[in-house]
Amino acid sequence: MKLSKAFKHALNMVMHSKLRSWLTIIGVVIGVASVIAIMSIGEGMEQDITSRLSGMGGDILTITPGLSRGRGPPGMYHIDSATATEEEVVLDRTDLQALKSILDISLINTEIKGSVEAYYLGKSGSVTLTGVDQKVWAQITTSEIREGRMLGSADQNVIVIGGRLADDYFDSPLGINKMITIEGSSFRVVGILDDQSTNIYMPIQMAYQVLDDKENDVYDSITVKIKNEDELDYAIETIEQKLMMARHVTEKDKDFTISSSKQVEETRSEMVSSMTTFLTAIAAVALLVGAVGTANTMFTSVLEKTKEIGIMKALGARNRDILAIFLLNAFLIGLIGGIIGIILGYLLSGVLPALMGGGGITGRFASGGVVTIESVLLSLLVAVGIGTLSGAIPAYQASKLKPVDALRYE
Amino acid sequence: MNNRKASNEENNVLIHLENVWKIYQMGEVEFAALRGVDLQINKGDFVAVLGPSGSGKSTMMNLIGCLDLPSRGSICLDARDISRLGESDLAQIRGRKIGFIFQQFNLIPTLSVLENVMLPMEFQEVDNGVARQRALELLEMVGLKDRVYHMPSQLSGGQRQRVAIARSLAVDPDIILADEPTGNLDSKTGRYILDFLNELHTNEGKTIIVVTHDLDLIKYAEKVVYIKDGEIEKVEYT
Ligand SMILES: Nc1ncnc2c1ncn2[C@@H]1O[C@H](COP(=O)(O)OP(=O)(O)OP(=O)(O)O)[C@@H](O)[C@H]1O
Ligand SMILES: [Mg+2]
Repeated sequence: MKLSKAFKHALNMVMHSKLRSWLTIIGVVIGVASVIAIMSIGEGMEQDITSRLSGMGGDILTITPGLSRGRGPPGMYHIDSATATEEEVVLDRTDLQALKSILDISLINTEIKGSVEAYYLGKSGSVTLTGVDQKVWAQITTSEIREGRMLGSADQNVIVIGGRLADDYFDSPLGINKMITIEGSSFRVVGILDDQSTNIYMPIQMAYQVLDDKENDVYDSITVKIKNEDELDYAIETIEQKLMMARHVTEKDKDFTISSSKQVEETRSEMVSSMTTFLTAIAAVALLVGAVGTANTMFTSVLEKTKEIGIMKALGARNRDILAIFLLNAFLIGLIGGIIGIILGYLLSGVLPALMGGGGITGRFASGGVVTIESVLLSLLVAVGIGTLSGAIPAYQASKLKPVDALRYE
Repeated sequence: MNNRKASNEENNVLIHLENVWKIYQMGEVEFAALRGVDLQINKGDFVAVLGPSGSGKSTMMNLIGCLDLPSRGSICLDARDISRLGESDLAQIRGRKIGFIFQQFNLIPTLSVLENVMLPMEFQEVDNGVARQRALELLEMVGLKDRVYHMPSQLSGGQRQRVAIARSLAVDPDIILADEPTGNLDSKTGRYILDFLNELHTNEGKTIIVVTHDLDLIKYAEKVVYIKDGEIEKVEYT
């Protein structure tokens, strides 16, 4: 029998199959759909992170007082109690001088940060105020301006605010050139950032006045820009040595942390990819269950078709004709299940991130799943492979049936 | 007279059973469904096989049709001993030389009338257009020209058996084996089928072997084989 004819009969078998066969196909569908969905969501998150990584500037380092263990995201400090006792650990002019002497550094920005009460048109709220060195901040920050301008060298009583603070934090939108009261003093908004934050940025000298618990020339953090990004590791090493010298500490009682935001995101990326791998493994189990279901249906279907196999053999079918028909039938079940699964998975990967939105790693993930051609091909290959493999033994058994026995089967 | 006829057609022998045994093993017990059957059937014979239920008629037909192998003895088809052939050779013989007609019609329920008749030709890899043309001709011959796209379930019993006859003729086989072809039909439809088989015999010279309980059939047959308890009781020539 020609392959095309065997294919026709296999297709005919699928078309006339009972509800049970379709339930089997659903098994394959669920497996494939979950693999596609999870892989594409993972891919989406990774692309999201990668795009942020590239926009982040790998040449920016942040120096903070106190020793943070590991390389967790900024803010998750575990200050070593041995170094953080009695005398408070701070960054000050000495450190700044030390950094200024390093040739690898092109820009230095000093920052202080605190929580303040902001009033605008009778509405008030607590927001984060960051004092920055207005001479360099515009060049060192990765934030982008949406409206207005960045802070400039000559600025005094002006601020740049986050996107959400401008749009809907107060009762009415806070636009460019509007005056806002922070801790009793008035400031003019000159720029709005293209982000979703409620942060306020102002020249650090003003910030010292607003945040009265901050001591002059003591900084919460210092960000530096490296001249050559390729020599990041070397630069970190140099900064570390200089600061240890200036602060009279050794490797053992080091009391400051140098972190690269790129490293942080890279760690996040690794976490996402290992989570994706884990979830994919679970989905693979679902696929396996689908495979067992297919095998089961194939066995039953061979049993059901015993008489027909007998008839075909009486009409001159060879063992390999029967084998071809049943193998192709299993192949088709896998293929159809795979295709439906991919479509379903694609739809799911669009819906799931929205449902998962909120906290955790996925919190900042908003771009939806990315269905890659690899994941589609892989799932299709797996679905078809599973279908064919699980149909192999039943098909072989069908082909080996003795014609008389098959014909007598009722 | 019988001997003279037999020896005359010696070189015309198509099917030759020699001391054929079929023994079924049922657990501990052995049961011999055929006990040393000797039989010769010549090219162009119309043979009727008669015998009580359970006497071994179907068993013998299955052996002649290469659907099963004898436990002992030899069966020669066209001077070829089929008891020594492998499954794929047997399939080839079934597909090219033998047309089956069954009591239960045995059409494939998921294929249309036309597709059912084309099926044996597909196994022989006959060109699709040719197969289709031949199937249509055969269906016209059995008077089902207007039913070619029906499914078997939409046909009456007699119509189904006519489809089965058309199917059995698809590859233009030398031998037609019919195991109680009229068993599931009323006598009028049965008569039509038998007339049709008789025409095939006289017009196309096909060798036809029919198992039947219908004594009417005997008048068509040239040779009547009586089987009892797995043995040939007698062979009558009419
Ligand atoms: N697969 C089998 N296993 C065991 N015994 C069998 C098998 N096939 C047939 N037999 C036995 O062999 C004997 C002959 O069976 P067979 O079907 O040839 O009878 P038959 O002459 O065709 O009868 P009927 O007219 O009822 O169709 C019966 O006694 C039956 O029980
Ligand atoms: Mg019988």
